[in-house]
Amino acid sequence: MRGTRIRRTVLASLAATALLSTAACGGSSSGSGGDGGIADEIKVVAVRDHTGPVAYAGLGGAKGTELAVEEINSSGFLGDGVKLVVDEVDSAGEIERASSEMTKAMSDRDVVAILGPTQGAQAASVAPLVERQKVPTIFTQSGSEGVVIGDWTFRATAPMQAYYDIAMKKLADDGVKTVSVLYNATFATFAELGEDVVPELAEENGIEIVSSDSVQSTTQDFTGQTQSIAKSDPDAVVMLLIAPQSVTALGQLRQAGYDKQVMATSVQAAGNVSAAGAAAHGLMYPVDYSTAMDHPEAQAFATAFQEKFGEEPDPYAAEGYDGTWWLARAIKASGDSSREGIQEGLTQVAEEGFTGAMGDITFEGNDMRVPGVVVQWDGTTESLTD
Amino acid sequence: MQDLLNAATLGSIYLLFTLGMALAWGTIGILNFAHGATFMFSAFVAHVLSRETPLPFLAAVAISVVVGALMSVATQVLAFQQIIKRAKSQHHAELRILIGGIGVAAIPLAIAQRETKSSPFGINSDYTATVFEFAGLRLSSTALVILIAGLGIGIGLTVWLRRSRQGLALRALGVDAETSAGMGVNRQVMAIGTMAVAGALAGLAGALLTFHLSAIAPETGDQLIIKAFAIVVLGGLGSMAGAVIGSYVLAGTETLVLVAGHGTWVDAVSFGLIFLILLVRPQGLLGRKEVRRT
Repeated sequence: MRGTRIRRTVLASLAATALLSTAACGGSSSGSGGDGGIADEIKVVAVRDHTGPVAYAGLGGAKGTELAVEEINSSGFLGDGVKLVVDEVDSAGEIERASSEMTKAMSDRDVVAILGPTQGAQAASVAPLVERQKVPTIFTQSGSEGVVIGDWTFRATAPMQAYYDIAMKKLADDGVKTVSVLYNATFATFAELGEDVVPELAEENGIEIVSSDSVQSTTQDFTGQTQSIAKSDPDAVVMLLIAPQSVTALGQLRQAGYDKQVMATSVQAAGNVSAAGAAAHGLMYPVDYSTAMDHPEAQAFATAFQEKFGEEPDPYAAEGYDGTWWLARAIKASGDSSREGIQEGLTQVAEEGFTGAMGDITFEGNDMRVPGVVVQWDGTTESLTD
Repeated sequence: MQDLLNAATLGSIYLLFTLGMALAWGTIGILNFAHGATFMFSAFVAHVLSRETPLPFLAAVAISVVVGALMSVATQVLAFQQIIKRAKSQHHAELRILIGGIGVAAIPLAIAQRETKSSPFGINSDYTATVFEFAGLRLSSTALVILIAGLGIGIGLTVWLRRSRQGLALRALGVDAETSAGMGVNRQVMAIGTMAVAGALAGLAGALLTFHLSAIAPETGDQLIIKAFAIVVLGGLGSMAGAVIGSYVLAGTETLVLVAGHGTWVDAVSFGLIFLILLVRPQGLLGRKEVRRT
């Protein structure tokens, strides 16, 4: 019995110590007062997928943010000795995990801004929380509806729908008259593209959609669809699939005897289709960022990224980078690193726009817009098509 | 006709994957939820080994088969056998084996996800599928291999289980493990042997499917597990012939729905069908009826 009592006492004192230490940590100088001024240490939390089916998006974004933070801090952009600190948290591809991590971050009064999840479904489910708690949150990727819903939600990635017009225009310029659409209808962004945006753009560009096949995210084999597409032999195929699906679909399209142009999306960027080998040669897709871009900011970003990480940046890294720089500019613009100050600053910078790795960036409300570019994949690199 | 061929290929893919699971579950009573991870990781090892130098088709398949067998045996010895030892009865063990399998599966999944960042990976090989055209039908060489392997192994395993002495011993273990042990069937050896074969089949399916699809993702195995589970339940527990029929029935249904143009309803219809059949015939199409003492 004595052993139990001792154990209980120890547990109780541990609990008390934990409580006291969290209370003590609560009141540090991290600019949560909302009364103007830039704090010495600006704490930001990033919640994104470091693991899970689309981990490449979160991982890329994290790297872009890391580079931006390094540049911001070392150049003293926010003031002498001011440090921006970003804590990365893994949402592991799960909506529930994203929600709970976001809630945790928002209830920490020291956290003044959040870099939000990349997956559309995760982002849409946490957006209302963000608005209720009034924490400025910058999402990257997550290009579906229900994400940028109010004053506190911001998106540093132009949704694919916003610049897919350059892809359809490219097809039209190349003389394409008929198109088949193969799309993943259970993936929010592709569903919107496949059902609304692409048909609209096709009509504007005088292109006829001869067939439209929808699949699920769990569909792995495309033998049937690719064979029927090959049979109808359209001038081009618009392929809106996630990474492993697109590799299989491309291979099976070629096997089915179809050898004309395939237009995909930025999901296929940065070598995500290299596993398809020769079947992916000549694939085109519109992206918001490519190493093939030649404006000076893009080149500078690519060089710095290569130096730091020993690899080329992908669109996700560029979005993380420009998104973080948006945050820094916001703090500088409002001169206030509190939650309200950052929200004001982000809105202000959005009205003005700025030039980043993705080029001349403008905004529609809190939603980023970029010029975008259509690139072609040759098996090892992307190149501009105009 | 082409649709029939496609359905047959899809069915063979499901069959190759399900056979290992059905074999272990129907005989030694091990429902191995790590089967999907074994499938994926076997192909992943082949991918890693092929990064520097391309592997010939047969070598890649052989590597996958060996890795699969090793993984399943390791899971059996390190996880499942420990659970069985400590459990009060076979019944108690079953639930724990199920959870144990799910837990074990997380490890190869995490390794593969870390290495590939969840990007799709293929097997670097000089082999490229040739497409055969006959009578207006198209079939890739990989699909042909899958068809032959799936049907061949499926039928072969069914016959072996029914006709051979070891097959009889395995089936006896499936009906009543304790009594069979009392009759001289060596449970441990048979269990390890069965898991080795089941794992080898998972590895075979892994390599073949990776060639067929050009690439798979770390999550591909888990997607197939649910289908395999449904197929075994549909075909009837303990019946290899049931697994064969179940695979083709499921594949046929899915192809039908796809061809009808309702691609997003495939999963709903497939599992709905299985649910309906279970309502009418709970033991599955060819499953044995449970015999319980009163």
